[in-house]
Amino acid sequence: MSTSETEYLKGKASEDYKHGFYTDIETEKAPKGLTEDVVRYISHRKDEPEWLLNWRLKAFRHVRDRIDSGETIDWAHLDYEAPKFDEISYFSAPKDKASYDSLDDVPDEILETFERLGIPLEEQKALTGVAVDAVMDSVSVATTFKEKLKEKGVIFKSFGEAARDHPEIVREYMGTVVPYTDNLYAALNSAVFSDGSFVYVPEGVTCPMELSTYFRINEAGTGQFERTLIVAEPGAYVSYLEGCTAPMRKENQLHAAVVELIAHEDAEIKYSTIQNWYPGDPDTGEGGVYNLVTKRGLCKGDNSKISWTQLETGSAVTQKYPSVILAGDDSVGEFYSVAFTKGHQQADTGTKMQHIGKNTKSTIISKGISADVADNSYRGQVKVSKNADNARNFSQCDSMLLGPDCGAHTYPYIESNNPTAQIEHEATTSKVGDDQMFYCHQRGLGEEEALKLIVNGFCQEVLQELPMEFAVEAKELLDIELEGSVG
Amino acid sequence: MSTALDTDVRPEDRFISAFEVNHGQALNGTNASIAQQREDAIERFSALGIPTNSLEAWKYTDISKIIDRPYALPLAPEVPSVDPSDIAPFTIDDMDAHRVVLVNGRVDPSLSDLGDLPSGVVVSSLTQAGDAHPDIVEAHYGQYADFEDEALTALNTAFVQDGAFVYVPSGTVVEKPIFFLHVTAGQEDLFLQPRHLFVVEDGAIARIVEAQHSLTDAHTFTNTVTETFVGERANLEHYLVQDEGPNASQVHTRAGQQKDDSVYSTNTVTFSGEVVRNNANIEADGSFCESNLYGLCIGKEDMHVDNHTQMNHVQPDCNSNELYKHVLNDESTAVFNGKVLVTRGSQRIDAYQQNDTIVLTHDANIYTKPELEIYADDVVCSHGATTGQVDEEGVFYLRSRGLSERRARILMLQAFCDEVLSEYKIDALRNHITEKIRQRFANYFS
Repeated sequence: MSTSETEYLKGKASEDYKHGFYTDIETEKAPKGLTEDVVRYISHRKDEPEWLLNWRLKAFRHVRDRIDSGETIDWAHLDYEAPKFDEISYFSAPKDKASYDSLDDVPDEILETFERLGIPLEEQKALTGVAVDAVMDSVSVATTFKEKLKEKGVIFKSFGEAARDHPEIVREYMGTVVPYTDNLYAALNSAVFSDGSFVYVPEGVTCPMELSTYFRINEAGTGQFERTLIVAEPGAYVSYLEGCTAPMRKENQLHAAVVELIAHEDAEIKYSTIQNWYPGDPDTGEGGVYNLVTKRGLCKGDNSKISWTQLETGSAVTQKYPSVILAGDDSVGEFYSVAFTKGHQQADTGTKMQHIGKNTKSTIISKGISADVADNSYRGQVKVSKNADNARNFSQCDSMLLGPDCGAHTYPYIESNNPTAQIEHEATTSKVGDDQMFYCHQRGLGEEEALKLIVNGFCQEVLQELPMEFAVEAKELLDIELEGSVG
Repeated sequence: MSTALDTDVRPEDRFISAFEVNHGQALNGTNASIAQQREDAIERFSALGIPTNSLEAWKYTDISKIIDRPYALPLAPEVPSVDPSDIAPFTIDDMDAHRVVLVNGRVDPSLSDLGDLPSGVVVSSLTQAGDAHPDIVEAHYGQYADFEDEALTALNTAFVQDGAFVYVPSGTVVEKPIFFLHVTAGQEDLFLQPRHLFVVEDGAIARIVEAQHSLTDAHTFTNTVTETFVGERANLEHYLVQDEGPNASQVHTRAGQQKDDSVYSTNTVTFSGEVVRNNANIEADGSFCESNLYGLCIGKEDMHVDNHTQMNHVQPDCNSNELYKHVLNDESTAVFNGKVLVTRGSQRIDAYQQNDTIVLTHDANIYTKPELEIYADDVVCSHGATTGQVDEEGVFYLRSRGLSERRARILMLQAFCDEVLSEYKIDALRNHITEKIRQRFANYFS
């Protein structure tokens, strides 16, 4: 990198985390620690049916055993102190009411918070036609556009509401894709999950609008454990987006979510994430969110399709592998990801594509960008089982290094037990080319514009998969990140 | 002497007690530093234990059952008399070479034919080298094969006794290949641990060919460790042909270090074996190094071959190339785990890695894991992996030119292997391997 470039980059002091404010709202928190009482308290507070409490308790006993036996997850390329499970408060609700019936009931401070985050519920309602479910700490604050969705038979509710109103659907699907025994964090979530979103799209219905959830961790010393369940009946289509932020805090906050997607015959689910949790102090690495999430989709029926798109710019530590189980014949799985790490951020992210049905296809496009002293790893698995005839996979994992002190790593696992499978994997690691920079300069672009252009171009393949409104937001977010600390 | 292994105890303990019995009898038993290293190694082995599937590096290869057989564990294996006619099929007569035959890991001078070596070049057993050239052995022995995380390297180091030794002094060119023919013989189930050391000094050029065959139907497990040093501006080509038959298992570790401006190439071809695990580790500890790792696996029956490579770039301005190909038939399994590491500050590295596999049957399996771990920004590193079948369009083209379907497919397979074979710089060896592959493919698709 040329000297002027380096100077420019050094000169660009790290930009403040835009969403790092804290909203002073009275909250009620569960006592710290993971005990049966806490689980019962959460369930009671949320007025949950008996079966759900029992499910939680089963998961609680399982996770307690695993924690007590000293289990840790240490195989990833991540270096961080394991969360202290007994020092986290597992439930935090704004004010004294744990759920709101309509927007009018929501305290103004909360609405203001979301407005500052750029999701004015009212405005979005009118302008973008996006239905938003906003989750602050543990409680779902508002779900917009309920009525319009109701006409089509689409159910879009907070998880808590859904468990009360549609127990038969929730019971049928909950835990079928990510069982509570799946991994330590999924088990923890199953015991103490607070809220989240539930989407049900009936047979043959194309959801008339994009559905969106916004998550925010507000309180200190809390974790966020939301649970999302999306069910698309035969022939249904739904596009869903989640966004995440958190205030700046010195201690590490834990975010351990579980997302389950089920696509029946001919159904399609498109799940997009813009993750911008607080990444910790860029100079010291202090604080920040531990984003340890289990996301998995099941292409249950023939011809079904599940597509994951993610832009990961936040969190001190990210470990997530949105996966697709391609059980139905001719089903399709897709994974598009941009992971940007800077400062002391660490990310170990990727996907798992499990080909089980015949003629299944999967595509993996992963772009990792690493700056400062950050570490960015792609870890992905493509597995073709014995009977998955004519499985087809294409994977491409590109890494870009911005600076001499960061790291970029690629760990693909390819397992094929079928001779008809065709699997291709490609990965490259390189820096922004001097020739690319030179060309941009020669066309009159400054250092900053040139870098933005090149990085955006690098990510284009993924960003274009995002729903339009969010593609713009994603691009802006990426630009801001680049201004902050590329170097 | 030989210590029979008892199957009732923890497998590690059998090795540890065998170590205690044979205490002090290994290579240079009187040399303090080597003796200490052996003590450290057995301790490390005891701590690490025999690797199981739960270890990431051994995820797809389970040797615990294979290693648990009641092998005899001879410290200094007896060398059964082998008739020259027994080894005749393996001698690659077209290849004019300095030939050394090792039976059960020990040099058999009666079968060897060293010919005229350039002055200063030493080709001998490791034991002899320890006596005749202690300075060279001590300068390099145990320097490259790190046993901190490798239980089997630790085990080999603890039991080190004998093996092959090559020394090529500065500026010397060895025109003819140096050919080590390793054969296992005898009626007993054997656990062998040969240790080889190849030192090619600054500016020297050498080619080393190793071939492994078996003269016995008994079960054998060979835990080989080879250390290689390639000096500044030196060039070493290192070929390994593995064809020990269905009862032989092995863990074969090669650890090499190269210095500035050197070229080091390894080329491994595996034709048979029960479980074969190859670790090829290269450290390019100098600038402007070129490192090449090539491999070919022709899988048949239920053989299991695991090629594990580690390319460490710890200095700037180097390039490395890696190409491994598999053709898997019957119930064979292949594993490829290649790792390229570029350490902080090792700028301007060009590293390439490719693994291609053709799977011919429903019962064959392939597990591929090409890894990149990069800590420097001014690098071009990439890897690719493909798994598939014979290209149907290619078959169609060949059929349109009048070839039968069977011949077309065989030709496509040969062409697939050719990319690796073309890296063989010794014509006679390449022809020999090509012919072996042709014979193997001859009854395919029938």
